Amino acid sequence: MEERPQHCLSRLLDNSALKQQELPIHRLYFTARRVLFVFFATGIFCLCMGIILILSARSTQEIEINYTRICANCAKLQENASNFDKECTCSIPFYLSGKMMGNVYMYYKLYGFYQNLYLYIRSRSNRQLVGKDVKAVEDCAPFKMSDNKTPIVPCGAIANSMFNDTIILSHNINSSVQIKVPMLKSRLTWWTDKYVKFQNLSSKNLADEFRGKIHTVAQYTTTKPPNWPKPIYDLDKKDPRNNGFLNDDFIVWMRAAAFPTFKKLYGRLNRTHHFIEGLPAGNYSFNITYNFPVTRFHGEKSVVLSTLTWCGGNSLFLGLAYTVTGAMTWLASFAMMAIHIMLKNKKMSFFHQ
Amino acid sequence: MDCSLVRTLVHRYCAGEENWVDSRTIYVGHREPPPGAEAYIPQRYPDNRIVSSKYTFWNFIPKNLFEQFRRVANFYFLIIFLVQLIIDTPTSPVTSGLPLFFVITVTAIKQGYEDWLRHKADNAMNQCPVHFIQHGKLVRKQSRKLRVGDIVMVKEDETFPCDLIFLSSNRGDGTCHVTTASLDGESSHKTHYAVQDTKGFHTEEDIGRLHATIECEQPQPDLYKFVGRINVYSDLNDPVVRPLGSENLLLRGATLKNTEKIFGVAIYTGMETKMALNYQSKSQKRSAVEKSMNAFLIVYLCILISKALINTVLKYVWQSEPFRDEPWYNQKTESERQRNLFLKAFTDFLAFMVLFNYIIPVSMYVTVEMQKFLGSYFITWDEDMFDEETGEGPLVNTSDLNEELGQVEYIFTDKTGTLTENNMEFKECCIEGHVYVPHVICNGQVLPESSGIDMIDSSPSVNGREREELFFRALCLCHTVQVKDDDSVDGPRKSPDGGKSCVYISSSPDEVALVEGVQRLGFTYLRLKDNYMEILNRENHIERFELLEILSFDSVRRRMSVIVKSATGEIYLFCKGADSSIFPRVIEGKVDQIRARVERNAVEGLRTLCVAYKRLIQEEYEGICKLLQAAKVALQDREKKLAEAYEQIEKDLTLLGATAVEDRLQEKAADTIEALQKAGIKVWVLTGDKMETAAATCYACKLFRRNTQLLELTTKRIEEQSLHDVLFELSKTVLRHSGTLTRDNLSGLSADMQDYGLIIDGAALSLIMKPREDGSSGNYRELFLEICRSCSAVLCCRMAPLQKAQIVKLIKFSKEHPITLAIGDGANDVSMILEAHVGIGVIGKEGRQAARNSDYAIPKFKHLKKMLLVHGHFYYIRISELVQYFFYKNVCFIFPQFLYQFFCGFSQQTLYDTAYLTLYNISFTSLPILLYSLMEQHVGIDVLKRDPTLYRDVAKNALLRWRVFIYWTLLGLFDALVFFFGAYFVFENTTVTSNGQIFGNWTFGTLVFTVMVFTVTLKLALDTHYWTWINHFVIWGSLLFYVVFSLLWGGVIWPFLNYQRMYYVFIQMLSSGPAWLAIVLLVTVSLLPDVLKKVLCRQLWPTATERVQSPGYQSTCPSAAWYSSHSQQVTLTAWKEKVSTEPPPTLGGSRHHCSSIPSHSCPRSRVGMLV
Repeated sequence: MEERPQHCLSRLLDNSALKQQELPIHRLYFTARRVLFVFFATGIFCLCMGIILILSARSTQEIEINYTRICANCAKLQENASNFDKECTCSIPFYLSGKMMGNVYMYYKLYGFYQNLYLYIRSRSNRQLVGKDVKAVEDCAPFKMSDNKTPIVPCGAIANSMFNDTIILSHNINSSVQIKVPMLKSRLTWWTDKYVKFQNLSSKNLADEFRGKIHTVAQYTTTKPPNWPKPIYDLDKKDPRNNGFLNDDFIVWMRAAAFPTFKKLYGRLNRTHHFIEGLPAGNYSFNITYNFPVTRFHGEKSVVLSTLTWCGGNSLFLGLAYTVTGAMTWLASFAMMAIHIMLKNKKMSFFHQ
Repeated sequence: MDCSLVRTLVHRYCAGEENWVDSRTIYVGHREPPPGAEAYIPQRYPDNRIVSSKYTFWNFIPKNLFEQFRRVANFYFLIIFLVQLIIDTPTSPVTSGLPLFFVITVTAIKQGYEDWLRHKADNAMNQCPVHFIQHGKLVRKQSRKLRVGDIVMVKEDETFPCDLIFLSSNRGDGTCHVTTASLDGESSHKTHYAVQDTKGFHTEEDIGRLHATIECEQPQPDLYKFVGRINVYSDLNDPVVRPLGSENLLLRGATLKNTEKIFGVAIYTGMETKMALNYQSKSQKRSAVEKSMNAFLIVYLCILISKALINTVLKYVWQSEPFRDEPWYNQKTESERQRNLFLKAFTDFLAFMVLFNYIIPVSMYVTVEMQKFLGSYFITWDEDMFDEETGEGPLVNTSDLNEELGQVEYIFTDKTGTLTENNMEFKECCIEGHVYVPHVICNGQVLPESSGIDMIDSSPSVNGREREELFFRALCLCHTVQVKDDDSVDGPRKSPDGGKSCVYISSSPDEVALVEGVQRLGFTYLRLKDNYMEILNRENHIERFELLEILSFDSVRRRMSVIVKSATGEIYLFCKGADSSIFPRVIEGKVDQIRARVERNAVEGLRTLCVAYKRLIQEEYEGICKLLQAAKVALQDREKKLAEAYEQIEKDLTLLGATAVEDRLQEKAADTIEALQKAGIKVWVLTGDKMETAAATCYACKLFRRNTQLLELTTKRIEEQSLHDVLFELSKTVLRHSGTLTRDNLSGLSADMQDYGLIIDGAALSLIMKPREDGSSGNYRELFLEICRSCSAVLCCRMAPLQKAQIVKLIKFSKEHPITLAIGDGANDVSMILEAHVGIGVIGKEGRQAARNSDYAIPKFKHLKKMLLVHGHFYYIRISELVQYFFYKNVCFIFPQFLYQFFCGFSQQTLYDTAYLTLYNISFTSLPILLYSLMEQHVGIDVLKRDPTLYRDVAKNALLRWRVFIYWTLLGLFDALVFFFGAYFVFENTTVTSNGQIFGNWTFGTLVFTVMVFTVTLKLALDTHYWTWINHFVIWGSLLFYVVFSLLWGGVIWPFLNYQRMYYVFIQMLSSGPAWLAIVLLVTVSLLPDVLKKVLCRQLWPTATERVQSPGYQSTCPSAAWYSSHSQQVTLTAWKEKVSTEPPPTLGGSRHHCSSIPSHSCPRSRVGMLV
């Protein structure tokens, strides 16, 4: 009996709204009026966004030229194993009907190339790429070592299959004068890739570095990947900041694409002289050095020129999706309103009776 | 006896090789019996260590792991983990290993801690000192060293260290008092008796010289059953054989009271004590939600396997073209080329399984467990269910069944102590037709009440007066009540008026009420001393009766008897029991008048007992003694033999009279039952009481209403017609009506609807349950069930405890498989409490046995309303959302992964990063749903209490039906399609940045994942009706956590990882405008259909709950509710005042009238029809 008051007191003390499930709340119910309001608002927002997106997507220009078939002879030439290292070029003339204003980006696009295969995507060595250890090739199967047991640099399937066509865009002002359109090979990659994830061993003499000349012991020499015509230190001999692992084309290639059809940035228009406003209309041609085999996996490749806006390229999908969503939302809200009014009338007539 | 000896001998030698023998022989004090006695095979007994712990220090890890992996889910995850370790799979073993490790560790720590506590308790028990006698000396030893055969001394207030045969006590009469509070919760003092021939051994030396053997049965868990016999050898005489029964047995766990010390010999030790045998007996109950969950799991397992199969097959179809199998850019290693195709295919299948295994999440089990465990605290914390009177709150013995409380379709309730107070009050007695009411007595003078019944003569004759006194003496003597007296005062101290100071204790409250009632009528029971019962009669003289035999009460006989010898040497047998068990044994007395009175009282809801007596002559008594002795000594079938003996003894009685005791209804019992019935729950009353009493209680608590048509299925009717005819007739009556009625049986509270009440008694039930010879056993049962189904209320009276369980079982396994709930307070309800899906114990006066065996215990019956209608409803809503949501969010999670396989050449490339795979279920989406499942209240507590019909909205597992499950799964699929293809079309074929840079596969995965986390969390936010600050904190907090985590995870090159694929992926993604737009769009598109569906369903087909949720309802109704509760309060206080202003009973005034007539006035008219 003497314990009881204490007991009660302790119950009172630790009694809280939480324990009695009586916390202060606000309730959320879907009443017709609230939902209608939200739906109409969403509809308006989506329609507006959709229109803006469609308009801006239509303001971009894009031109895509598939050169798999045009350069079929090169492909055929390559399929013959004896002509493996023969260079084959092909030229694709095209006419640009309207001028492409602003920044123009050049992409290469591959069809049916699975960069997202599980084994493929794993076959790379980050330690090697960051310049820490040339011999770190454990993850690079099946392209780890060459036959003479020297590490492949860069190792792995991704690096081995790097896109190695050379695409040069020329502007044919008239039948005789051909200007090479200046393309920039910088800022094609994420900043972090270029400055954090990819590093050369030391910037003084790349070739020596990779050839292992610094080290007297033979095992430090490295080999180029089997598919490459030239070693990593010869990717861009002119610009040391674009050479070795820091080569923009290489870094771009090393970021695996999500789908079997993908495009990768190849160059930006250098807006100087003639091209200060973009690409003027006229005759152009792509001069392509054909190296990259696609017929073997029944793939295709093309080259794309495109301008961009704040919302990216000229895909209408996002704009259309917004518009459709907005329209559907409005449709739904009209339907709901109809039902709501119908029920209300029913209720009213019920009361009147 | 010889027979049984031979039989035991045969048993022993036949079963010689086996260790198990059906009885054991114990040498008291390890003294060999004299050479003449029979030999026995020594048995090995365990020592007195109690081991309740499961593990030891050494076997903890292996044993615990083994136990844990025996659960199917854990085993499944272990297999997945091992597969990940062995074969080369796209996801790291960490993703499934870490959660599994977490789960296993947490469970192991919890179980280890619990086991450590048990070890501590065991050690404290096993090491506590015990006194025992060795060679006539008192020795102290640790309890665990005690062995069978040791003689133990126990002092007052000590607990017995093992099961003992009571040899002697310091009390002269060889008795001791014991409370068994820790065994069965009964705090009353029970008297135990020392063996007759050893009770003289008072000192250590004496007891050390005792030479005896005990034969008894092997240990069995029944606390109240024990048979054995003791052979006491002495140098002079032949060995004396005495029977031993449960009254000689002192159980481990019981406490010695009011006795200085006792000696006893250990017969069952350690894990063989009855207490230890009673430890593990509860079976695991599983809730309906758990069953649905398992069904869903199987569906998902099938989905998982088929997904893996489809992908494996497609992979090989796709790869059948060689340029795809091994394109030049993705060459295989030499070892891969040489692998067996089938082995490769199997490995691929396993790899796909691993890739998709997250569809069955480990975390769901953890969350469900946590939700149940934490959620059950809301019941214990609930102050509405706290009873200030007793200081008891609700108890939760298992948290596995919380949601089952929201699914109850049938309630089986006990009457006494559950619906009624079990606070007995002696109302009246009827002696040969004269009615005596204690309250009209002044100073011991009886004024026969004249209003009740036509009396034979108003002033009792001399003969009548004699009978009257005999009746009172019978009531004073025929009971097992103990008197709790203060030790300070000794001797016959009680004056007639001071008699109230003594307190009567008994296991049955009826007996106390009777003895107290008789005390008010002038006869006071003083005490039992040296086998003499002392009573104080009206003239203040002490009468002493020698107590010769007690034929104790049991629920089959429904009566008890005592044989006493008066001071004048006359021997009487007094018998007291239910009318049905007394009347057939009566040959004399005014049976008809008494029967009429008994029936009248029963109709008023009073509990009646009849009293009869028989005068015995010495020879008869000796015959009886012999009969009883023979039955008591028997080792086999003692129960049966005793029952036969009792049957023989208790016959040819003379009826004296009848008593009536009132048992008041518990407060708000009627209100509760009405609410439960409105909630669509069928309430059945199962009682051992007689039909009329029970029916009256049913009327009083509104189980039967005025317009209820009662159907009877009783022995009386079956005697007239055959069971077959009765059943068919009843079913015709019922079905004819239900044929014309429409389906709104559920809302069948409308006044014009005829509702039926069924009354059935135990005998009729057993006839129905009995399998027929001609094989048509199911026939009657089906018919009976059919009738029951169309009755709104069923009353089963005259039920034995096992029959209660039988009824529950019958309903439980009928073809709809309804969820049953049993509620009761006494030991006789335990069987049905254990049988029903949910067992609820009322923490009542008849001990705590029901509460201990129940799943939940509540202080009062009225608390059942909140328990079911509020807590049960909430728990069900919460857990069903939890289950559905978990499956939904994992469909959202894994289906894009599945779709991605079609775009990556079925190469098992994952869509999401490892960190996301691991943390999705553990941290990004776990807390909101856990908190939802703890806090959600789709409507307010007061609304649920006010409107019981809302309970029907969740009946029959409504939220976990296949339809709902498929809806959720389809919603998950739709959302997954939106995430995946939305992101796909945004990314495909175009640049999504303004600087021309390109995103890779991880950015795509991260975009899908981000949309998913937001959608899934916001979906829950839309489902949450009850927004507390905790919900806000958790929902917005976990979204914020996801963003912060992703920023950190991508913002740093983590030194311990050998990949940097996520480096800056998230940040780059956020730097792109289209990605933001895509996230907003896709989240909206995923959520819109669900919102639309909700709104449309709400408008077109609203459920009751949804109607209540609309704001119009809430603005009008609370005032009405306030009024109703207010008016209720007013009447309640008025009633209380009436009670308090009433004059105290001793001062006279007819309380009988003012309390019983208003409450029973309406039922009486109904029952009048019935009888």
